[in-house]
Amino acid sequence: MIKLLEKITPTESLKFLHRVVDGLCGRSYPRRIEYGEAWSLTEFGELTNSLSKFFTVAVGRKCSDQEVQELLGDLDSAHAAVVLQCVHARQEEIRLSLVDRTNGISSTQLQDFNWQIKLALSSDKLSSLNTPLLNLSLDMKENGLQRAVNIEMNKEELQTLISALEAANKVVLQLK
Amino acid sequence: MRFRFCGDLDCPDWVLAEISTLARISSVKMKLLCVQVIKDLLDEDIDYEKVSKLTSDAKFESGDIKASVAVLSFILSSAAKHDVDGESLSSELQQLGLPKEHTTGLCKSYEDKHAALQQKLKESSLRLGRLEVVNWRVDYTLSSSELKEVNEPVVQLRLQSQNPESGSSETSVVTVGAEKFRVLLTELKQAQAMMNALQ
Repeated sequence: MIKLLEKITPTESLKFLHRVVDGLCGRSYPRRIEYGEAWSLTEFGELTNSLSKFFTVAVGRKCSDQEVQELLGDLDSAHAAVVLQCVHARQEEIRLSLVDRTNGISSTQLQDFNWQIKLALSSDKLSSLNTPLLNLSLDMKENGLQRAVNIEMNKEELQTLISALEAANKVVLQLK
Repeated sequence: MRFRFCGDLDCPDWVLAEISTLARISSVKMKLLCVQVIKDLLDEDIDYEKVSKLTSDAKFESGDIKASVAVLSFILSSAAKHDVDGESLSSELQQLGLPKEHTTGLCKSYEDKHAALQQKLKESSLRLGRLEVVNWRVDYTLSSSELKEVNEPVVQLRLQSQNPESGSSETSVVTVGAEKFRVLLTELKQAQAMMNALQ
């Protein structure tokens, strides 16, 4: 299927390949409308799929240049050189995205977090409360579904959380 | 008339009425009754047997006992809520007709426990969720179906927090990659510094 790449010039291919890697790393894939003349809808789908798979395998298995050539099969040498160039340039980025996917296997992943500090001024119990509170919102992804968890913490609770995270961080740093 | 211990509002009629009930017991007994009511406000156990003994001299019926406990509870918690000092409370209660010896005893107990009462009110103020327990584990991923050699640490976090709506605990388990974890910790520390600067 990767042979379909030969329908556009090597220079155009390089741009196209980078767009595919972008998609693989969580940004947007190339849009078919931009390549409507080169490929039909099925061809375009097949090509992007097999290229994504190719990049995943090439980086995931840490293939040598020789092995990459073998994966590409009978693609002509000019295009193959371009593909190889793209693999070299984006290797680390693809690897990080694969690490991210690995972390997502059978677990809930933290996608994003936001926080907010508020000063609670007064309540029905105490007229001058003046207590700072931190709202932490964790956006988590569970089996493709987004879920948010909100936790309100006072200073003591935040200290508990930070101490726990710091202890974990110490171990993480040792592993680096 | 407006009273500071009522939050600069009128004194409720029932409080006004029950102050005369309080005046029927001796000032010493009332001070001891105050101690019991404060115990109740601080969530320590109130000794009801003692309360009924303290009020037996004045021939209090159970309705009178309940009323005096309620009115003391109102005065003490409301004064603490509005951060009224003992002296002001004493003069306001005298204006409402509580004898001087009674107010002195009441305000003495109030002043002794002022900080504790306010702390208790602070703790029982509305909270929209709170963090209860944090557990963590650091894993080192070696290999996966996606990537042959991963060799990256990941942090597993288990957060137990209170749900603001139901009040029950709920736990969330989440995996955080090393890089995101570092950012999370750094930002939380920044937030903590800001919180500390507030006080």
